[in-house]
Amino acid sequence: MVIESAPDFETQDLLINVGPQHPSTHGVFRMILEVDGEIVKDLIPHIGYLHRGAEKLCENNDFRQGVGYMDRTEYLASHNAELSYVMAVEALAELEVPERAQWIRMILCELNRLSSHFMFLGAFGVDVGVFGTPFIYAWREREALIDLFEEISGDRMMYAYFRAGGLAWEVPGNFEERVREVLVSTRQGMKDFDNLLTRNEIFLARTKNVGIISAEDAIELGMSGPTLRASGVSLDIRKSEPYMYYDQIDFEVPIGTNGDVFDRYIVRLKEMEQSVSIIEQCLERLNDGPIMPERMPRMLRLPEGQEVYIRTEAPRGEYGIYLVSKGGNKPWRLKVRSACLSNLQALKKMSVGQYVADAIIILGSIDIVLSEVDR
Amino acid sequence: MTSDENVNNTNEEEVSEIAVVDSLDDTIWPLINRVLSSVDVTPERGSIDLITQIPRSDIIRALQILKDHEEVQFNYLRCLTAVDNESEGVDVVYHLYSIPKNINLTVKVNLPVDDKTIGTATEVWEAANWLERETAEMFGITFNNHPDPRTLLMPEDMTDTFPLLKSHPFAEIEILQGELLGYDRENQGDDE
Repeated sequence: MVIESAPDFETQDLLINVGPQHPSTHGVFRMILEVDGEIVKDLIPHIGYLHRGAEKLCENNDFRQGVGYMDRTEYLASHNAELSYVMAVEALAELEVPERAQWIRMILCELNRLSSHFMFLGAFGVDVGVFGTPFIYAWREREALIDLFEEISGDRMMYAYFRAGGLAWEVPGNFEERVREVLVSTRQGMKDFDNLLTRNEIFLARTKNVGIISAEDAIELGMSGPTLRASGVSLDIRKSEPYMYYDQIDFEVPIGTNGDVFDRYIVRLKEMEQSVSIIEQCLERLNDGPIMPERMPRMLRLPEGQEVYIRTEAPRGEYGIYLVSKGGNKPWRLKVRSACLSNLQALKKMSVGQYVADAIIILGSIDIVLSEVDR
Repeated sequence: MTSDENVNNTNEEEVSEIAVVDSLDDTIWPLINRVLSSVDVTPERGSIDLITQIPRSDIIRALQILKDHEEVQFNYLRCLTAVDNESEGVDVVYHLYSIPKNINLTVKVNLPVDDKTIGTATEVWEAANWLERETAEMFGITFNNHPDPRTLLMPEDMTDTFPLLKSHPFAEIEILQGELLGYDRENQGDDE
């Protein structure tokens, strides 16, 4: 049937609801896409499905208990989330963290970065359409890392291993051996991913020049982490404002050139190589010694009228803790600055004008953790 | 708290007050003071970053100056949130970072309890959009001329409840059980 269309014939844009429960949204994230044919014309994100009021909970629990809530905000990189929190408490309580505890913390945070990026690589492969293989590869490598975390902390995801002042307990005797063992398999896993994806023609066709965001826009929108560095901004808090002993470690900050989806993938892959090198350097410097300060008060009470904003480089970007104390053993106000929340703001800018199928890849390339977005 | 500790505390406070008066020169305060010469700014030493108090009427103008001025270039909004100080009103807190200069600044604005309105920082940084939406729904602050004043994390119809205010109960169980729960905020945590 031939339709004779008048010159003023108009088509109606279609609204598609994606999520909240949909595998490609990486959790409970909902977005409403306004599409014209295959092209995304507008995107309205809806978040908050996983809001549990972590900040209010922390304000009503003492400083030691807050560590557990931080695990649950950022469940794929719990060590990094705990780190910001305990550093904030230490800054206000003026606690001196022993050297050994700092090195172990650095090793664990970098290992957690590896496991988190493996998760990204696996899930991202599925988003792009390389079904199965990358996911299983990623799971295999991540399993080795999580086993190690379990040996140390007793838990696979919610470690609660860092304490204000140091660590909860000493690492197992074969810690160094086990870390080196895991790094061997991690190296191989990264090589596998490199071979599987980086030069894969279909993968390149789907990711190159998709979801581009310029450096200016990325900064303006408050993006951080690999998502920002893919746009060519060399901002890594480990370098710009070193915390712990990152200033004594030799490592590079990989940056992208285009700010497209492929850059966000390759920056993470390169970052993992740097993490492995950081861990090896840390292992060389690891000495025996205490893991908690000698004079540790049984009940932590912070001075009145003090506040601090601690930022650390978590796998997804800047994980900030704003802690206000008005005396007592509880925070007066605790704000979690979520990297994913700020990165997710850029989704609309990246997706408008792209294909519907690409919107899913773009969302995957931001590597969101919805429990961190909603807190 | 024993009386000995009280004495110690007051001594420490005196020392720190004296230190604040003459030691801001080693921070970025001279620079900020020069850049914001047209604004009434009160500095304060923070644990890591310099804290500045700016009156509400000047805040958006001051933030714009801080972003555009060549000597500071605060082009990155790290964080925007608020702190409920109960009877002393609500502080809106901006954490700024300058990528070119690698300096940090905390800007605070005090809002009175009965008039929690302020201009929107989305005019300065787009990053403020969602952060202000969250702050608005959690503290009942109105950001004038905000381009998208919907709720962010809360349900759409929950516009009269502000969970992060100190007056909001921690959990509904407190209201239901009231005094039976033995919830005493003053002495909370002291029974170790």
